[in-house]
Amino acid sequence: MLSYLISMTTFVGFFMILALALNLQWGMTGMVNFGIAGFYALGAYTSGLLTVEAGWPFLFGVAAAAVVGLVFGVALSYLSVRLRDDFLAIVTLGFAELVRLFALNEDWLTRGPRGLPIDVRPLSGVFDRDGYAIFYLGIVASAVLIAFLVNERIRRSPYGRAAKAIREDDVVAEVLGKNVLRIRIQIFGLGALYMAVAGALYAHYTQNISPDHFTPVVAIFIWMSVIAGGAGNNKGLLLGAGLVMMFLEGSRFLGEFISFMDAEKASAIRIILIGVLLILVIRFRPQGLMPEERFKGPSEI
Amino acid sequence: MKSAISRRRLLGTSAALTFTTALLPRLALGSAPISVGSLTPNTGGGGPFGPNITAAHKLVAEMANAKGGVLGREIALHQENSETNPETAIRAARKLVDVNKVIGVLGTWSSSVTLGIMPLCQEANVIQMCTSSSANIPLKDKKGLVFNFMVLSPIWGDALADLALRRGYKTYSVMALNNDFTKSMVDTFVDKVKAGGAKVSNDPFYYNGGQSSYRAEVSKLIADEPEAVFIPSYVTDFTSVYKELFRQGYEGKVITVSISTGSKFKKVVGAAADGILHGLPAPSLASAAYKDYLKFAGLKDTGAIQHPFGTAGHDQMSVLLLAMASAGTDDVAKVREHIHKISNGPGTAVTNVLDGLAALEAGEEINFSGASSDVDFKSPSGVLKSRDFVLWEIKDGKDVVIETIASAS
Repeated sequence: MLSYLISMTTFVGFFMILALALNLQWGMTGMVNFGIAGFYALGAYTSGLLTVEAGWPFLFGVAAAAVVGLVFGVALSYLSVRLRDDFLAIVTLGFAELVRLFALNEDWLTRGPRGLPIDVRPLSGVFDRDGYAIFYLGIVASAVLIAFLVNERIRRSPYGRAAKAIREDDVVAEVLGKNVLRIRIQIFGLGALYMAVAGALYAHYTQNISPDHFTPVVAIFIWMSVIAGGAGNNKGLLLGAGLVMMFLEGSRFLGEFISFMDAEKASAIRIILIGVLLILVIRFRPQGLMPEERFKGPSEI
Repeated sequence: MKSAISRRRLLGTSAALTFTTALLPRLALGSAPISVGSLTPNTGGGGPFGPNITAAHKLVAEMANAKGGVLGREIALHQENSETNPETAIRAARKLVDVNKVIGVLGTWSSSVTLGIMPLCQEANVIQMCTSSSANIPLKDKKGLVFNFMVLSPIWGDALADLALRRGYKTYSVMALNNDFTKSMVDTFVDKVKAGGAKVSNDPFYYNGGQSSYRAEVSKLIADEPEAVFIPSYVTDFTSVYKELFRQGYEGKVITVSISTGSKFKKVVGAAADGILHGLPAPSLASAAYKDYLKFAGLKDTGAIQHPFGTAGHDQMSVLLLAMASAGTDDVAKVREHIHKISNGPGTAVTNVLDGLAALEAGEEINFSGASSDVDFKSPSGVLKSRDFVLWEIKDGKDVVIETIASAS
């Protein structure tokens, strides 16, 4: 049971990094990104291929994934600079499909649908199976912590307030002299970097990736996390990511008690339950479990 | 501003949750049963087949439990849905391996799922039994723990080409759904057809699933008016592809794999489906094991092949349980050896788990033959020696057997 909890916590860690990234882009700056799976895949394949094919060490692979994520994030936000809301959503969704189809079809590079086995892991052989699981959780937890601290720093800074101003009304922000274009591109790029790092960590954890791992449903889970936790609140979405995973995975244990239902029906009930919960959250608590903290003006200090 | 969730409430809720999750597995476990995992595609691309496999696993486990279990211990079956998606399947497999402590994960269907959970299963020393055709599976199975109840896809290509050549078609055109299953199938099909003196008129290409229309692909496929087209695919995309072939008035022969032309396909397409040739490694209808399976599953012998994957599920669970009984332990290394022993023989021929357990109890050695195939593995690997391969033609909305061959792998 303990090793299961450790491995689920590791998966929650990937979700948390992705959710923190989405919080930067959407929660704070109002840029709708449905292309999470695309950047996730980009990072996974970059690090996977560089470590497997070119023999790079783990850390270099992850660093390269971060750079590639940043470059593609900046490029995509620059290309779609005039788009907002629904239109940006469509472009990012398209980007994610583009990445997935590239990975599926260019099998000279990515090995296509056969999948890419990745046996490179940091310090493998030093620990036993259980010890390694804890060690890897440590790596993922550090990444979550760094991303969280960076997010919090941005949120509290004047830069973060400028980003929120853009979210509320970019024309007003522009009139007030904020460089809207630059902030948008920087924030989108940073979010993409987070996503790519999460992808790289995921790839070395599961040790076998194929395009099927990066379907748009990943983006839906992350959106659920951010919506349930509270958009704009970094602590809230950590809670949200944990809750989403708990419902996704915890509901597996229900099947053992519902003996009157066969496994096929029980698994369908699980998926229905998750949908119902999301609807309930949006109906009764649209601001999320932990709403965004309001900025305290000087008079309140 | 005060947050709506107080620290106290948060602490209380998380404590309650920790308590419940810690308690659940304890309640589920009885007195030292043997845990077996079943991970089947109950939704997604494998949705038409998963439920049969699930039911077959359950059936065999219940049959054994009714006779007092294996090694005097109850078989605790833990079933999960892979959703035909490796991302989900990995977490489900984690639960089976780390919480339920299963000895084996049975029933994975799509190759990406089987390969996706393989690093985890190899690391934890857990047996895998699957029906996945990717030629990569045996290559990546370093510990010899994966037992495949389906022949690899090059064999499909070879058998289908053989059957097509015997029908006398001289020119072929080939396209396939882009996935792991079809890749090596296309290569062997093309090689075999060329070696047989026929011509492949196009440069075989792959299309991506999930498109709303396959118009461009189909036009390209039939541009040279070949006598026959070969389209290995899944039912989800083949339905649209076939509609397009029909619309563009193609009059040659359409050859595909039977997983694309199930009963729902025939219902949707109606009379237009007549004339499609399709093949699949299939149970031998005359075998005693297949008849047993029909009886246990409560099905009527219709003369048509039923549950092509459910039969494999039956064989997976039977082989695992009999191997444990034969080994006298649930130690994976021993069980693995005995899987080869009881499936390849020599020994008394048995076709179901009850006869097998009884024979083992009587001190005999057994040779298990399954409902899906003879279940003989090429030791030391878990690759099947052979399966019967059947070619059907759809006539008046029904599958009519044209020819059956035994494929050697």
